[in-house]
Amino acid sequence: MGKLFDVSLVFSSIPELLTKLPITLELAVVSMLIGLGLGLVMAIIKMKKIRVLTQITNLLISLLRGTPVIVQLYVAFFGIPMMFKAINQQFGTNLAVANISGFVYAMIALGLNQSGFMAEIIRSALQSVDPGQIEAAHALGMTYPQTLRRIILPEAFEVALPTLGNSFISIIKGTSLAFTCAVVEITAQGQIIGGRTYRYFEVYVSLAIIYWLVTLVIEQIIRVIENKIRIPDQVELASANGEGKKNDKN
Amino acid sequence: MIKIDHLSKKYNDNVVLDDISLEIRQGDVVGIIGPSGTGKSTLLRCVNRLETPEKGTVTIGDKVIGLSERKPKELLYLRQNTGMVFQRFNLFEKKTALENVMEGLIVVKKMKKDEARAIALEELKLVGMEKWANHYPKHMSGGQQQRVALARALAMKPQILLLDEPTSALDPELVGEVLDVIKKVAAQGYTMLLVSHEMNFIRHVSNRVIFLDKGHVVEDGTPKEVFEHPQNQRTREFFSKMHIMAQPEYVI
Repeated sequence: MGKLFDVSLVFSSIPELLTKLPITLELAVVSMLIGLGLGLVMAIIKMKKIRVLTQITNLLISLLRGTPVIVQLYVAFFGIPMMFKAINQQFGTNLAVANISGFVYAMIALGLNQSGFMAEIIRSALQSVDPGQIEAAHALGMTYPQTLRRIILPEAFEVALPTLGNSFISIIKGTSLAFTCAVVEITAQGQIIGGRTYRYFEVYVSLAIIYWLVTLVIEQIIRVIENKIRIPDQVELASANGEGKKNDKN
Repeated sequence: MIKIDHLSKKYNDNVVLDDISLEIRQGDVVGIIGPSGTGKSTLLRCVNRLETPEKGTVTIGDKVIGLSERKPKELLYLRQNTGMVFQRFNLFEKKTALENVMEGLIVVKKMKKDEARAIALEELKLVGMEKWANHYPKHMSGGQQQRVALARALAMKPQILLLDEPTSALDPELVGEVLDVIKKVAAQGYTMLLVSHEMNFIRHVSNRVIFLDKGHVVEDGTPKEVFEHPQNQRTREFFSKMHIMAQPEYVI
């Protein structure tokens, strides 16, 4: 009988696991972007109280937040092909579903799941922007989309950033469930290695180390962004011709 | 010339403005006074459509704009030609003084950055804030913020400047610097509608004073006429209350 816990195995399996790290990160980033985009749309629908769409959005948010990610992944992975099959049978079309990779299903499910949470985060951030500034922008003749892009979003982003960072970290960890859609990311790779060597425990420890390091890096990146977008505490007076040290960024 | 015709606005059953018509000549500085809640601010906010009135039109030059209609093109024309200065400054927090003034020029007037910057610096110089061009609103005092807000409105070269109690949110010692700048701007021949509780200032800077009560214009004339010989009972009451405040508590 070998050692109960082989430390060297923990480190020796890391390189092999890291080969799948790009898939984990890619899945997380794409899901985050889908979540942000959809979340923004849902937040605006709720804020503007657009009829019918608001009710649909409310129902969707409630469903997405009220069901576990793993269930949503299974529903996407099995449900979407079944839906297409039904459409094919019904209309005699020949939509090829088999060609769609598991990555796409995982992306859709994780992105949708995030959008439910993002919608509320974004809405509260958008609503934190002083309405006076929005009025001022309108008074200048700016339209709502212009005001949104140039005034509201930059301010809301700063408010939402810490919470968005949290969400991104939780997506990273959420991707470990993507094996349900036959995506081999680092956790799935770990299980493959475990199956090969029967050293599951060591592999899971390596996985824990990798996830933790990735999260540490993300935390640092968020801190850097936060410092960058914060209004500086002090600015030098501009010289007589108005040319200051700081370049404006329009 | 700017004309306001048959402007009416109510909130639910509360009539704030009742069929108000005004004709403002080029270069006029019109002071609007009156008790609280009589629709002074609402009048200004309706003129550039931050509030939508039930009915009413504004005529700028030879263009008539229906205030209760929703026509994006007309709205844009109206807002480009009316500049608004708010009680609470409402500067864009994440932008420097310079960027605040440039914003409308770039986004609404589609100017090139260099051109916009030149105009913005000129306007900041006019209000005496050119040295603060790179500061953010949170670095500035209320008076300084209001001066930048004034520059932001002026940069758009509006036909009429709407000032909504520009000094009521300021510390007493900061009021002076803002009033000085407004006086300077008025002297340049800008047409203005000025809502304020600074009676002395209105008396000196404006050449026409309107007293608003319960959504009606009850007094309209030169400052001398309105302040010294008010015709309306309500106006007389208003001033007599203010004079009581101004009198010493007792005289030996």
